[in-house]
This record gives sequence, C-alpha cells and structure tokens, in this order.
Amino acid sequence: MSWRVSADIGGTFTDLVAIGPQGELRTKKVSSSVGDYGRAIVEGLGQLFVEAGFAAAAVEEVLHATTVASNAILEHKGAKTGLITTQGFRDVLEIRTLRMPRLYDLRWEKPVALVPRHLRLGVRERVLHTGAVETPLDEAGARAAVEALLAEGVEAIAVCLLHSYANPAHERRIGAIIAELAPGLPASLSVDVLPEMKEYERTSTTVINSYIGPVLGRYLGALGQDLRAAGLQGPLLLMQSSGGLMPAAEAARLPVRVVESGPAAGVIGAQALAKRIGLPNAISFDMGGTTAKAGVIENYQVAQAAEYSVGGGIMVGSRLLSGAGYQLKVPSIDLAEVGAGGGSLIRIDAAGAPQVGPESAGADPGPVCYGRGNAQPTVTDANVVLGYLNPRALVGGALPIDAAASRAAIAGKIATPLGLTPEEAAHGAHLIAASNMIRAIKAVSSERGRDPRGFALVAFGGNGPLFAAGMAQALGMRRVVVPPSAGVFSAVGLLASDVEVHLARSWRRATHRLDPAALEEAAAALEAEARARLAAQGFPPERIVVQRAATLRYQGQSFELQVGFAAGDGPAVLAEGFGAEHERTYGHRAGPGEPVEIVALQVVGRGLPDRPRMPDRLAPPAAATPQPARPAYFGRAAGWLDTPVLARAALAAPRQGPAIIEEYDCTCLVPPGATAALDDFGNIIIDLGESSA
Amino acid sequence: MQGRSYDPIEFELFKNALFSIADEMALTIHRTTYSAVLKDNMDYSTAFCDAAGRLVAQGLTLPSHLGSIPEALAAVMRRYGEEMAEGDIFVLNDPFEGGMHLPDIFLFQPIFVNGERVAIAATICHHTDVGGRVPGSNASDSTEIYQEGLRIPPLRLYERGKPNETLHMMIDRNVRVPVKVFGDLRAQLAACTIAERAFKELVARYGVAETRFYMNELLDYAERLTRAALRALPDGEWSFEDHIDDDGVEIGKPIPLRVRVEKRGDRMVVDWTGTSPQVKGAINNTFSYTRSAAYCGIRSILPANIPNNEGYFRAIEVIAPAGTIAHGVLPAACAARGLTGFRMVDTLFGALAMMLPEQVGAAGDGGNLGVSLGGWTKERQPFIYVDFTCSAWGGRPWGDGLDGNSHMFANMASPSIEVTEAEQPIQITEYEFLLDTMGAGQWRGGAPFAREYKFLEAEAVLQVRADRREFLPFGLQGGQPGAPSMNWLLRDGRREKLPSKFCITLKHGDVFRLEVPGGGGWGDPLLRDPALVLRDVRNGLVSVAAARRDHGVVVEGRAVDEAATEWLRAEMRAARTAPLPAVVRERAA
Repeated sequence: MSWRVSADIGGTFTDLVAIGPQGELRTKKVSSSVGDYGRAIVEGLGQLFVEAGFAAAAVEEVLHATTVASNAILEHKGAKTGLITTQGFRDVLEIRTLRMPRLYDLRWEKPVALVPRHLRLGVRERVLHTGAVETPLDEAGARAAVEALLAEGVEAIAVCLLHSYANPAHERRIGAIIAELAPGLPASLSVDVLPEMKEYERTSTTVINSYIGPVLGRYLGALGQDLRAAGLQGPLLLMQSSGGLMPAAEAARLPVRVVESGPAAGVIGAQALAKRIGLPNAISFDMGGTTAKAGVIENYQVAQAAEYSVGGGIMVGSRLLSGAGYQLKVPSIDLAEVGAGGGSLIRIDAAGAPQVGPESAGADPGPVCYGRGNAQPTVTDANVVLGYLNPRALVGGALPIDAAASRAAIAGKIATPLGLTPEEAAHGAHLIAASNMIRAIKAVSSERGRDPRGFALVAFGGNGPLFAAGMAQALGMRRVVVPPSAGVFSAVGLLASDVEVHLARSWRRATHRLDPAALEEAAAALEAEARARLAAQGFPPERIVVQRAATLRYQGQSFELQVGFAAGDGPAVLAEGFGAEHERTYGHRAGPGEPVEIVALQVVGRGLPDRPRMPDRLAPPAAATPQPARPAYFGRAAGWLDTPVLARAALAAPRQGPAIIEEYDCTCLVPPGATAALDDFGNIIIDLGESSA
Repeated sequence: MQGRSYDPIEFELFKNALFSIADEMALTIHRTTYSAVLKDNMDYSTAFCDAAGRLVAQGLTLPSHLGSIPEALAAVMRRYGEEMAEGDIFVLNDPFEGGMHLPDIFLFQPIFVNGERVAIAATICHHTDVGGRVPGSNASDSTEIYQEGLRIPPLRLYERGKPNETLHMMIDRNVRVPVKVFGDLRAQLAACTIAERAFKELVARYGVAETRFYMNELLDYAERLTRAALRALPDGEWSFEDHIDDDGVEIGKPIPLRVRVEKRGDRMVVDWTGTSPQVKGAINNTFSYTRSAAYCGIRSILPANIPNNEGYFRAIEVIAPAGTIAHGVLPAACAARGLTGFRMVDTLFGALAMMLPEQVGAAGDGGNLGVSLGGWTKERQPFIYVDFTCSAWGGRPWGDGLDGNSHMFANMASPSIEVTEAEQPIQITEYEFLLDTMGAGQWRGGAPFAREYKFLEAEAVLQVRADRREFLPFGLQGGQPGAPSMNWLLRDGRREKLPSKFCITLKHGDVFRLEVPGGGGWGDPLLRDPALVLRDVRNGLVSVAAARRDHGVVVEGRAVDEAATEWLRAEMRAARTAPLPAVVRERAA
C-alpha cells in the first residue's frame, strides 16, 4: 500500500500518473473514452500497473480531475431540473446580468437557461435583507409547486429564494416538502450551496449544482465500482476548482465545487513545486492544443477568485466582457485563459496583418503537418518550420508528421503575401501567439497589481515549455521552470493536493461599529463547522488547519477584496489589512476616516496527510535516446543556428542556449543567450539573465 | 510612412500591447470605482491617444462613447495645446465644449517621455451626481443646461502634479454625494497612472520614433480594414424614419428622427438632415454622441476585428445640422440624451436593414429606460438610486430577438436586487418577463420584463425616462411591432397610469412599476415554426389566445393541434388583402 495514482481527464487525452514509495514517477497518456470516461481510467491504470510493476492492491488512494461536470454544462446534458424561486423572480436565472460578452455583434446568442421557464416556479413568500420575514411562506403554494415539477418529471430541484442567506427558514421548509413528496430526489438549497448575497450568482450556482449533480453522481458511482472491481480499494478523491481535494461522496453532494478541476490541478502542482524548490512567487503557464491558462502563486499561496463562468473562460481580449457561459460563484483558482494553443490557426486579415487564433484546428484535423486535411497553417506548423519541433514525429515518435507540408503552408498562405521568408513568417506567428498568451499572464499579474518581473514562470502542458522562455523574456521575467513530466503535469499536481473544506457566509457589518466579540463568534462558528466536516472524513484535530478570511470594501464601493485574518484579530486589524491590500492592488487607499465594511466571512479547512504527499525527489524513467542537432531559427538577428537536441538528463551540467530538450510528452526550447540546467529535483531551470527583449 | 520600414510582425505585437493598456485602464476603473453606474453598468470608457490627440486605441467598454473622445480632447487641445506640462491632468464635462452630458466627466493625462509629449491617456466616467435640480443629474424634463448641474469647461484638475484646490472645492460644494464623485475621480486618476506606467515601458522597448510610427500605422490599419469591408457591401442610398414619442415637456408632440445612409465604394455617409430641431426637454444630443451612434451602428455590420480608433472613423462621414436634436446648441438640455442616442442607433439599423436585409433585424426595446430615485433620509443623509435597464432585442432574419439582454449601444448590467435592498430604501417586488408583449413574427421579438420598486423612506423624487409608448418597436418583413412601454404607480391600493417621462414625489409604501417595451418581430408570423410557438406558450410568454390570433397556431393542452393549425393558417392567409409590409409600425388589433 504505498503507491498513489492520479487521473486527469481532458477532452483528447486522459493523463495517468503514479508515484511510488521512493518517488518513482510513472506516467501514461491514453485517449479519453468519450461518453464513458471511466473506462479509459480503469484500462489505462491496468496498463500502467503492468508497465510499472505494481499491483492494484498497492494503491492507497486515487485522485481525480474530470471534465464530466463542465461537459454536462457546456453540452447541455445535465439533469432535467426544476427551480423554485420567490414569486415574481423566476426569470432572474434567465435575465442574468443583461450583459453580453461581445460588442457590436448582431448575431450574439445568450447561453440557453439550464432550467426552461416552464420548470421555474415562483412561490409566495418574502424575506428581507435583515432576515425578517415580510410574507410568510405559502405552504400550500410551495407544495403545489413541488408537485407540479414532479409531474413534469424533473430529476432534481433547485431552490433559491431572495435573501435566504439572511434567513433560510423558507428554503429549508421547501427542502423538507421536497423530501416528503419525493424522498431521494436531489434537492439543492441555495443556502447550502452558496449562502451569500446576490441573487443571480446564487441562483445560477444552485441551479448548476442541481443540473450536474445526477450526472456526476452516476459517473462517480460507476467509476467507484469499476475501480473496486479492478482491485483498487483506496478512497477516490476529486479535485475542486479551488485546488483542494474532496471525497467522491462529498463531490456528489456539492458537484458545483469540482467543475473546473483539471486546470486547478496544474496550478496546485506548480505551487507544490514552488514550495519544494523555494520559489515564493511564480506564475503557472499551461498551454495545450487549444487554450493557454495562467495562474499565480504569490508568497507560496495560490491566488483565488470568487467566481467564474463555465464556457466563458476564454478571454476575447478583455476580462471586462462578461456574460458568456454559466456563472458559478464558488471558491476557485484565479485562472486567465486565452484561445491559443498548438492548433491555433495563422491567417492574414483584410488589412494585411498576420493573426493567430483564436480559431483552432483542434486535435482533428489538427495542424497541416498531421496530414489530415487542414490546409491553413497553425502554431504547431510554425514551430515545425522553425525547427523547434521534431521534423519527423511528435509524442515520442507515435505521431508522424510532414514538415514539408508545414513549410509549404506557411510559405504560401503567410510568408508570400507578407513579403517575408517562411522562417520569418513562422517566427512572427510564434511571437504573435506568445503576445496573445502574454495577455493571460498580464491578466493574473499586472492587471491584478502584481509586477510579473518578480515572478518565475512555471511552464507545462504539451506546448508551454516551447513558448515559456520567449514570453518570460518579453515580460522581463528572469527564470523559467519546466518540471519533469511537464506534458502530464496537471495529473502530477493532483498528487500534491490536500483535502479542503471551504465555507462562507454573507455577513455585512461596518468595522468601526463592530463588537470584536461578535466577529470572533461568527468566525469561530464557521471554523467549528469546517473542523467538524474534516473530522467526519477521519482527520484527527491535530491534522486540521483552518484559515479565516473576510471580504471587505469601502462603504459604497461595489467591489470587494479578500483579507486573511487570525483568531483574535479584531475589526480594526481587518480594516487595516484591507487598506493595505487596496493600496497594493490599486495603488491607492482612502483616508483613515473612510468607513470599511465586511461583506462576507470565509474559512478554508485543510486536512493534512500523516506523511508528506509527495516525495522530495521525483524519479521519472530514463528518457529516449538523444537526437542529432538540427538548425532552428531565432529571428532575423540570430538567424538559423545549429541547435543541439538533448534529453533532460543532459542538462546535469548547465548549457547555453540554443538548445532543444525533447521528451515523450513535450518539447522545451532554450533560446540563445539563456542558460539551462537541472536542479536537484529534476526541473529544468532556464535562466534568462538581466536581458529584456 | 515617414521613411520607416513597416514590419508586420512588430506592428501586430505593438497593437496587442497598446490595446492591452487601454483594457488595463478599463479594468482599473472597474475595480476601484465606488458607484454602481460604473461597476455594474460600466458606463465609462478608457482610451489612448497620440500626441496630436488622435484616438489610437479605445478600451472595450461602452459603445456609446466611441466617438466622444476626439471631440473632448480637441476642446482641451484648443485651449492648452502647447502649454501642456508633465503632471497636468485636464477635466471637462461641458457638452458645449467637448462633453456629452454633465454626468460624464472626462479626464485627460498627457504622457511625456524625456520632456516630449508622446501620448494622452483618456477616461470618461458617468458620475452618480453632478448637482442640478434632480438627484442623479439626469432629469429628462429640464429645459436648459443651467438646470442640469455643474458645468466644467476644459480645466486643469492637476497642474504639474499639484491639485487645483479651487476646482476641487467647487466640485465638492456642487454635487450631492462628493464621497462617491471623488472616489470615482480617483478611479479615473488611477487608470491614467496605470496607463502612463505601461506606456513608458512600451516606449522604453520601441523608442519614441518607432512608437509614434506604429501609433500612426494603427490608425491607417483600422482605416484599411474598414474600407476593405465597406467595398464588399452594396452601393446605394437608404433612408429610414422613426419617432420619439415626445420630449417629456411638450407632451404628445412626436419628434422625428430621419436618417439617410449612403454607401459608395469604400466610404459611407450617415446623414441626419431632416431630423427634428432641438427640443425643450433634456434629450438633445451633442454631435459627438450622434457620431457615436453612427459608429456603433456601422461597426455592427462590419467584421469584428477592426480596432476601435479614429482610423475606423475616417471612412464614415456623419452629418447632423447644428440646432437639431442630433446636434444641440446652447442652451439645449441634454442630461437624458441617452434616449435619443439609442433611438438613433435603432433608426440607423432600420436603414441598414433595408441595405442588408439578411443581416439586420427588427427594432428592440429602444434602449435603456432610466429610473432615478433620490432624496434624504430621516438622518438627512442623501440617497440616490439610478437604474438604467432594458431587455428586448428585435427578431432577426435567422432567429428570435434576445430576451433579457442589453441594447447594443450600451452594454449595461442589472444591479443585484439583494444588494439594492440592503443599500437603498427600496424593495424590488417583481422582476419578470411579461406575457404577450413580443412582436409576433417568423422570428419573434425579444421578451421585455416588468420591474417594480417599492419605496420605503418618507419621501423621494422619482424621475423616469421611458419611450416607445406611442411609436412602437417596429417589425420587419411582416413581423409585428412589440408592445408599448408602460409606467404605473401603485398607491394606497390603487393603480394609476403614468406618462412615459415624468418626475413625481413618492411617499412611503408607493410602488412604481416599469414595463419595458417588447421587441419587434421579423418575418411573417404565420411562418413561425409551431413548435416554437408551443415552447413560448409552455413558458408562459405567449397566451393560447395570442398563439392563435398572431401565429395561427392552435395549442391544445401541451401540444399543437396540427390539423387545426394548418386550417387556421390557410384561412388567415386567405383573409389577407395586401402583401405584408416591409416595415410594420402598428400592432394588429
């Protein structure tokens, strides 16, 4: 019992990673089994066990990140869901915020409401923001609404009443009526899912919880069974969007917490790496075939966001344009995403300027060099022309490519119209793709008041290490870290996570009039609940850590900032912490007389393992045989340079760029002028020196 | 090109960097603002101009500000041109010298590199209050600019880094909520600071000469894209007319909006000659706002990738004679000119629908309806609640109009009900779609909603600006118009109809009910897929009776009676005496 395994399901591939007692790292990439995602996991693990030489019985726990929940939302394949609201407000879900994510677009279509109007029913009742009941719940009306939804054959019911965060009595009563009329039917009460102010966000989040619950429940039930049948006895834990793990049973109850589990795992992996190698400030950069994502680790902590949209994650140039996708207000890692990947298409616009993405050739037909019918060059084709990628095959030889086709496409479609050579055009496309992705990095750094120059770039995903050094140079960052098994790094990140419980409640109080005892009482109550939940999962008190936080704002402001605090910290400490955070984020703070208001309280409880989750040193299997050097192009000034193609181990002694490190699941580029070396943990450290391009 | 060689790759990288600065400015305001108008409605814009004041990059925020920056900056340049010094920050809101309406305060910061002015950062924010006779400073029934609030000509808010105390004090004493106004001015300043820092980094990388060269090239690039797109459109002339019900002062006197669109080769003319003379009520546009409306409308029929800058404007000529509602002159009141701007966009869309019938749909709800409520609490604290809301798009040649979506001209958001109730003496008692209010059509108009506000303090002034009571959102190609807007006062158990624009005193317990107009339909209602009619009936948006009357669809229980529907539709077609009109302005009885 000493291996731990993780499975990260993506749209194209399912990545599997196992870590043994001595830090043995074994990875496996298998095609995702769409429709029955669990099959790929169980079969892939079976192969991994054989290759790695250990038995299923030796696995102590299975950690999992999945796109099942987000796919159910994006493909509208969730449960038939009913919604009960306060009378007069059943359209809050559909009206949303009125905003649209695109300007000047006559063809804009709103995302379809996950609950159609005829399954949204209002019930007579009214609670005020103070929690006072203005109109008592119409019991008969509530009963009739539940019966009407049951008659429609709903598989789940969501309940979201106005101001239920301040007084949940009516929601609870409707919950009881549902339990009475339809025992066993999944019901989500907004006070259980998100006891916070703002009716649209709360309704949307509660509805999503109901909508994906039955789907995720069935999936996890089947997966659990399959794993047990395959001899895996250990618990199944899921990654939450916040980067913490939660038991499968808990995830089935609060599915809304695991929607964005895959991307979160990568950032947690970067955080674990940062802690291990003593890197307090890092930006994680994850680039695959269609999207690139950036997250931030600051002072070893992962930056969190309070909400995001499923299907709205890809920025269209600016994060201001909200309204796409489905709104979720759950603790989640602050990620910025752009539509840029290896498959992004390169084209020339009507005014003769080269453009890269966001349209993508995807995995199929994929880049021109795949020879599957796409004629428009992609970022991967540019990288082939530049000599950065192996000209004969990718994925460790498993995917043969046609480099001449890449060059012909770049030459014909891009270089000739622009009056450039093919390599100049390819290099330009590479830089433009990088500049698009730089916007994702800025979105989590400079746009959040953080100077990226004080951060290292941790690059992973199939294409991340190819672009990282160039992007870091452009941003004035000095160091790039490429971890082992960078191509399956999100699955590695799963193995580094702790079990987490997140709780929050709306709690509006002005700090200058607040009794410290009242603050302590409210925070302590939340903390006690977090401890109780972790205790119920088997964590003894000494292995439970709880952090408190509050969101605050200047009275009258409509945007909040989160500030952590410790037991015993009074309102004045919170107000000062807020002022400092405001200054750091926005560059200014109001005068000391300006009243500060607490909006909500949060706690995060962590259940710590009884021994380190990850060994200090990871030992990936020895890599393939080294390749001959090949010419690679580095822009007009440097031109074509004969570039050695190395295995990771060859960096045991520092090497000057240019160099290419080719691995099974990714390729890393060390540009001229940079120095690359391995650290004690098998990471490639690229040192960019003082220069800034 | 000033003898420099143009590198397409460098240009693309520069463009990304510069627009990222304009967006970063916008984010800064979003995060630091105090007021819901800015945070939720995003009624603000940020931009970057070259040293000559030409708009090079506008952040993606509010379309209705698109044409306003050049005008405002030109006013500043006229007065201060070569006197600008490092550390100066200029401010203005005077509609007759660069502004749009008084609540929109412009801030400009010239950016110097080695003593040379290289660029100018610009921000506009709609402020919660700038004084005047009504809280929120946006009354539609003011008749002169002098009633509308504090008028600020182009002045220095900061001179060489030092605040202009005189001006600060004047603002402080003339607005109802100075904490919010100064909080939001600080947000504007923060955005300029961010812009200066980021721009200087850009110049450090490219050098001054190259930066100037690429800023100029960015304008030419937008112009090339625009002209290339225009060349692909049909040449010709198209005209359209619509009316605003009235100006809220001369009740019942319709206000004509007339537009002529001319497209030849790679240029376009939008001509408002023939539009109403300026009116007494506060709905007169500045010429800059009329230009914004034209830029927004034309932009919507062009490809999405054209940068927001002055190069795009070069291909479009906008004509609006001075002294008209499209180009007000002193002493025109203009606080509520948003109404006219929205309706000009819709009128322009009417002409564009004639030009491109497959691309442009029927009229939506006419843009946002303004509800302002303000007064003093028992503790003599001011409260101001401003809600701009809209919902329904017109039916489109390929699909239904959107339900519950902002108008194209101003991508506004709805403030949270729960937050409103916690912060204002207001309870929202309903927020739901309305039955049988969408214009019927093969593709129906979008659904409007009702929003009810119950007032909980002792006394307040309620000021409302709605329209489309008399002149309905038009349908196209036989599609029916949407239902009119409606205002109701529920007081002491009675229900009283209010005019579309009014200003009254509310008492404790009064409920104001706002009903947004419905979107116009597109195409013959008898061609609508019966399954879509059934869906709307099931969803409570269309009654069984209206399904029958408007679409000839017979709904029995949960299903369409196919045979009866076919029979009824045949009968309705036979009863038609004339072909369906291209533009439908009156609802069938």
